[in-house]
Amino acid sequence: MTPLIQVDGLVKHFVARRSLLGRPTATVKAVDGISFDLNAGETLALVGESGCGKSTVGRLVLRLIEPTAGAVRFEGRDIFGDNEAELRARRRHAQLIFQDPYASLNPRMTVGQILEEPLLLHRVVPPDRRKERVGALLATVGLDPAHARRYPHEFSGGQRQRIGIARALAVEPKLIVCDEPVSALDVSIRAQVLNLLRALQRRLGLSYIFISHDLAVVKHIADRIAVMYLGRIVEMANADALFAAPRHPYTRALLSAIPVPSPGAHRDRQILQGDVPSPIAPPPGCHLHTRCPHAIDRCRSERPGLVGDPAGHATACHRWRELPDASQLVPREGTASAVLEKLQAAFVRAAE
Amino acid sequence: MTEPLLAVDDLRVAFAGDDGRTTLAVDGVGFALQRGRTLGIVGESGCGKSVTSLSIMGLLPKQSARVSGSVMFEGTDLLRAADRTLRDLRGDRLAMIFQEPMTSLNPSYTVGDQIAEAVIRHRGASPREARAHAIEMLRHVRIPSPEQRVDDYPHHLSGGMRQRAMIAMALACDPQLLIADEPTTALDVTIQAQILDLMRRLRAETGTAIILITHDLGVVAELCDDIVVMYAGQVVERAPVAALFAQPQHPYTVGLLGSIPRLDQRRDRLAAIDGTVPNMTAPPPGCRFARRCPFADERCRREAPPPVEVAAGHMSRCWRAPLEHLVQ
Repeated sequence: MTPLIQVDGLVKHFVARRSLLGRPTATVKAVDGISFDLNAGETLALVGESGCGKSTVGRLVLRLIEPTAGAVRFEGRDIFGDNEAELRARRRHAQLIFQDPYASLNPRMTVGQILEEPLLLHRVVPPDRRKERVGALLATVGLDPAHARRYPHEFSGGQRQRIGIARALAVEPKLIVCDEPVSALDVSIRAQVLNLLRALQRRLGLSYIFISHDLAVVKHIADRIAVMYLGRIVEMANADALFAAPRHPYTRALLSAIPVPSPGAHRDRQILQGDVPSPIAPPPGCHLHTRCPHAIDRCRSERPGLVGDPAGHATACHRWRELPDASQLVPREGTASAVLEKLQAAFVRAAE
Repeated sequence: MTEPLLAVDDLRVAFAGDDGRTTLAVDGVGFALQRGRTLGIVGESGCGKSVTSLSIMGLLPKQSARVSGSVMFEGTDLLRAADRTLRDLRGDRLAMIFQEPMTSLNPSYTVGDQIAEAVIRHRGASPREARAHAIEMLRHVRIPSPEQRVDDYPHHLSGGMRQRAMIAMALACDPQLLIADEPTTALDVTIQAQILDLMRRLRAETGTAIILITHDLGVVAELCDDIVVMYAGQVVERAPVAALFAQPQHPYTVGLLGSIPRLDQRRDRLAAIDGTVPNMTAPPPGCRFARRCPFADERCRREAPPPVEVAAGHMSRCWRAPLEHLVQ
């Protein structure tokens, strides 16, 4: 079976400075040679800290920006070869959800108008059935169909994100790129939206590219995870494998850096020193070598390739086989007390 | 027990809106903090945690905020203290750090000058001594080559370094109490880990008491001795950190703990708390959490529950606490 999406050697440089004559004098290598596949019905998470290029990858996959090099194939066809009409048709199959839903909703349009717009543009349903469809969409994301007459400012942050999701779903897409969809939301609302995204995926067979800086959120929602650092994927694996045995020193540092709500839990800490280097002049060799406690001379000169094992766990590190055991980075899988679990189950039931 | 360093009692803050309606942001908050301890105040947007900290610091706008109750700090009621007394205390005995360092760093002065200012103002140091102290403080917060950095302007520094410089400024006069309002929320996780590690070390070295305001239960678990959970302007639960995470006694805390995706536990479905927080211009009668609570009954919707002590040092504002019996 062909994967839904095949990303091959994707590169994107942005011009950071120009000379007086307009010639570029400095470029940011936002995406520096990235490849991955995404199957239908699957969630791939792109994880990393600010400036690692994860959002740029998301925008390239939707062809919102043009790449410097590389290809993105959607159901086997290179999307950068599409003409304008083909591109518009393709947009129906690939949608985007933003971090700040409010910024993406026109404040002068009612929610009904916002949801009708894509239906009209892509002629998804006949005109006389549009209103009915809008109501169904609102119900799908857990909002009252009567809310179609209201304006975006009348909704809370979590409800606005639901409207953003409903708009993405309106055109019955195969792929949704979710760019930090829950980062701006409070914890209890974040859980509502994550549960909704998972339920929709099961029901509609959607594929997600889920962009996030939060590994705990990603653990909950992703089938596979690609960890990015300065424009490159440093490790990619099934979610379970990545959390059970992280290989790359950067993945390990990220995991050990996340505060865990278990007071007094024992864990090894691997705190990276210093800041992320400027993407205008990234270090040669392995990008992490300036902060990596395990770096040797080879790391400073030779870029490590992303090498996969037969199980599909790929790592871009010269030394990962020699690194110490990493099982104590995250406190061992703890269980809440039976009483607490039952109490929490009451919340799950109440929400259904 | 000895006299607490800080005792907040029945704190109420109401804001007058332009339309004449008042919003109750903080409604009868009380807690005490012993010297050298770290207290976490946890809650979601709008629960009143930041307003509580701003009223302790005397930083609320006088025209629109109506404040009552008392905040005793080393024998002074901060809510009734004169502006001059507050100015003498702030930056000296009491200090605060914020989520966004640029709200407290002035972009047009060097970081050295800004740290030195506090030492000159409160300790009567000479400019030369103050500069030496500023360099010492930068070294203290592990900023590399402090002799050069002291002459840098805030925009020369990265986000993590600015956060360190702000901490250096707050700690310059060795305060008894540091209020940290979401100090790591805007930072990337690897930088957050550096700052949390720094705060842990500084606390061990200086013995400063800390109030840590955050929405992140993971940060609280790693740094705090005691926790106050706030919901809709009230303290709904107060407990030592281990008890709060192991045996939460307010349904809101239970839901909050169940709604975070966790690295150390497998969860099929998150225990999302249905609904949203009540509108505080017209708070509902009865328990503020009743509408979202799976355990609420008739009384919860009608009468506001008083705080009760369910175990030693463990307070919950819930009619149905202790919660164990609900699932047995």
